[in-house]
Amino acid sequence: VSDFLLGVAIAAFAYFALLNGIYVAFTAIAWGDVTRHLRRRRHAGGEGTFASPLTPGISILLPAYNEQAGIVESVRSLLSLRYPKLEVIVVDDGSSDETLERLRAAFDLAPVRKALRAGVETRPVIGTYVSRRHPELVVLAKENGGKADALNAGVNVARHEFVCAIDADAIIEERALLQVALPILDDPELVAATGGIVRIANGCTVDHGRVTEVRLPRSRLATLQVVEYLRAFLIGRVGWSRMNALLIISGAFGLFRRSLVEAVGGWWTGTVGEDVELVVRLHRYLRERGEDYRIAFIPDPVCWTEAPEDLRTLGRQRRRWQRGLAQTVWRHKRILGNPRYGVLGLLAFPYFVVFELFGSLLEVAGPAVAIALWATGRLSTLFFVAFIVIAVLLGILLSVAALALEEFSFRRHPRTSEVARLVAYTLLENVGYRQLNDLWRAQAFVDLARRRHTWGEQRRRGIGRAVG
Amino acid sequence: VEILAVAAMVLTALSVLFLLVLALQRVRLGVSERRRGELEARLRPIALAIVDEGRMPGALPPQAATELAAILGRYGRRLRGDARARIAAFFEGSGAVDDHVRQLRHRRDWVRAEAAAGLGVMGSARAVEPLRAALGDPSRDVRMAAAYSLGRLQAVDAVEPLLAALDHHRIPRAVVCNALLDIGAEAVPRLLGLVEHPDPIERATAVELVGLLGAPADGRRLVERLVDTSADVRAQAARALGRLGAAEEAAAVRELLDDRIPFVRVAAAEALGLLRDDEAIDGLLAQAREDSFETARAAAEALARIAPQRVTSEAARPEEAGPHLVEAADLIAL
Repeated sequence: VSDFLLGVAIAAFAYFALLNGIYVAFTAIAWGDVTRHLRRRRHAGGEGTFASPLTPGISILLPAYNEQAGIVESVRSLLSLRYPKLEVIVVDDGSSDETLERLRAAFDLAPVRKALRAGVETRPVIGTYVSRRHPELVVLAKENGGKADALNAGVNVARHEFVCAIDADAIIEERALLQVALPILDDPELVAATGGIVRIANGCTVDHGRVTEVRLPRSRLATLQVVEYLRAFLIGRVGWSRMNALLIISGAFGLFRRSLVEAVGGWWTGTVGEDVELVVRLHRYLRERGEDYRIAFIPDPVCWTEAPEDLRTLGRQRRRWQRGLAQTVWRHKRILGNPRYGVLGLLAFPYFVVFELFGSLLEVAGPAVAIALWATGRLSTLFFVAFIVIAVLLGILLSVAALALEEFSFRRHPRTSEVARLVAYTLLENVGYRQLNDLWRAQAFVDLARRRHTWGEQRRRGIGRAVG
Repeated sequence: VEILAVAAMVLTALSVLFLLVLALQRVRLGVSERRRGELEARLRPIALAIVDEGRMPGALPPQAATELAAILGRYGRRLRGDARARIAAFFEGSGAVDDHVRQLRHRRDWVRAEAAAGLGVMGSARAVEPLRAALGDPSRDVRMAAAYSLGRLQAVDAVEPLLAALDHHRIPRAVVCNALLDIGAEAVPRLLGLVEHPDPIERATAVELVGLLGAPADGRRLVERLVDTSADVRAQAARALGRLGAAEEAAAVRELLDDRIPFVRVAAAEALGLLRDDEAIDGLLAQAREDSFETARAAAEALARIAPQRVTSEAARPEEAGPHLVEAADLIAL
């Protein structure tokens, strides 16, 4: 038994060294890449994009299920985005509340029998409406089929070349669409999809669907997620994007070439991680055809979203993400280690399987085994303590590096006291929060074994309404 | 254990270093922002005197000179005419234009890119030749910045090299097009000279830009492109004729409703809608009823412009009209 425990401890040690080695490498890549991006931004023609008649059109897809509280504000905010050719498609996914009625009243919707593509199969569409006041606003009412099904229905009615999937409770910054579309203008034939950064809106001041003042959340749990998101987006996604092996474009804000989404059959309705799955499927489709393409993460367009402020909701969210990842990995298992898929098959996918999917099991088991070995005298106290200290310090260093990158680049938190608070939270994040996350992620395997595939209840305070 | 202890010390030192850098950066940015704000308030009247009256300032300390250049650069992005010429004169007189031209040969690509972008903001005609040469720079960022700047400088002489830069995607098409749009109507005679270029991408781009920048009379030069061997050129020619309002060429555009390529039929339908061509009604009706989704929708939308009442009457029989005419009729009724 003790040999087995020792084996687990060695595996955990190797896992720790490899994972942190990757993080350190990604941190270096991210610093270089973000710096280059910011330099380019200084001489790229952002405003020219807005004025140009050649800028490609974007259809925003907004799936809504029981969103009566904030839907009108969300749509107003989207209609005021700075982009020259824009269409907003709200898909009411069989809401049982007043989502549709509120939209009808606020935007003077009239029934219009829209022609629907037969591109992607969806649950039946019951009604289609166009706003008299904003002809670029289209509302679909359909039978409930889930978020993926609602997005697919939106694709079937979209008129523009690109579709942008946005969560109903997210806030997109005014210039974010222009920024996220820039790679398309640079390489219109090459870019398959792009995504922007997701930031936490809890605590920010929101006025008429716009974040007018960036503040940290009052909730400790939400503040921890601010640090976590910064590291995940500014370090992780920048790194994978650099290698053209980005596997995640957040469901809250992602831009896709419509024809490609149709070609791969739309968002998969059989998963709770439809955002990851679509990106993996796009990679797979394009690589199997030997096509040159790019799926890019752009660090400056911001989508503000509400983070869970209680452990129960956060736990449910993380278990759902993990289940979605597991379903995606299982569906695309042939990519794993397959040289046909290049860096995707040999690096990105194995990373996600080892570190993101099964890593949680080792991260839960590793410390437990180390404690057992220490208790049985197989591990010296000094080694045990030194290892824990190093693990925590390395975690802090990587989080502080992400914070420093944010400070040197985008500086979205103007108050010095708040930056100091974030630095303090890097300690909390590595002692407690990360371990809790691992537990939730490990629990997801139990959910999968029990075939639990629902989204679960989402408790939200509402960023569009609650100020502070 | 000793190795781990050393590692712990290194990590602690690095963490502390990052924190120090973070704190220093905060302080540095705060101080420099405050100083810049004060300096800008002092320099704004001097900048306005240059822009409005062409009154050049005396010698300034280096930091103030840099800040003044930044203010004038911001103005330069928005201004045209005499005010722009005065800003250009300031930059020429201060030696900034020559400095930036020299930096176009710098070994670091981002320095060259920033120099290329800066020359566009300064507005000096002396920068045109060096910027034209920069279109051949090994760095794509430099080439793109040079293209934007040539557009800002309204450099008519850069039309041909800009279009030539489309070859092998040396500069993205959107960047080239935006630069040519910035040059404006003065680019049209040069563009008309390129509508028969041997390269189909250059032909298509030239035709598209004539459609955006030209006048109805320019339509005559585009008619031949409606039978071009490249489908992209045919589609752009149809769109251009529609945008130009070249109604006398409508018959030739109508022929494209039978083109074998769907996106050419879409372009033809859009153009006929813009030209409000009554004689296209039957062809568009057939296309709206029977063609594939995008082409049928384009035809229905064109019909809604040309003959809204006919669309409404056709949609009264939804089974025969098909979904696109029904949708068009509902939108007319809005």
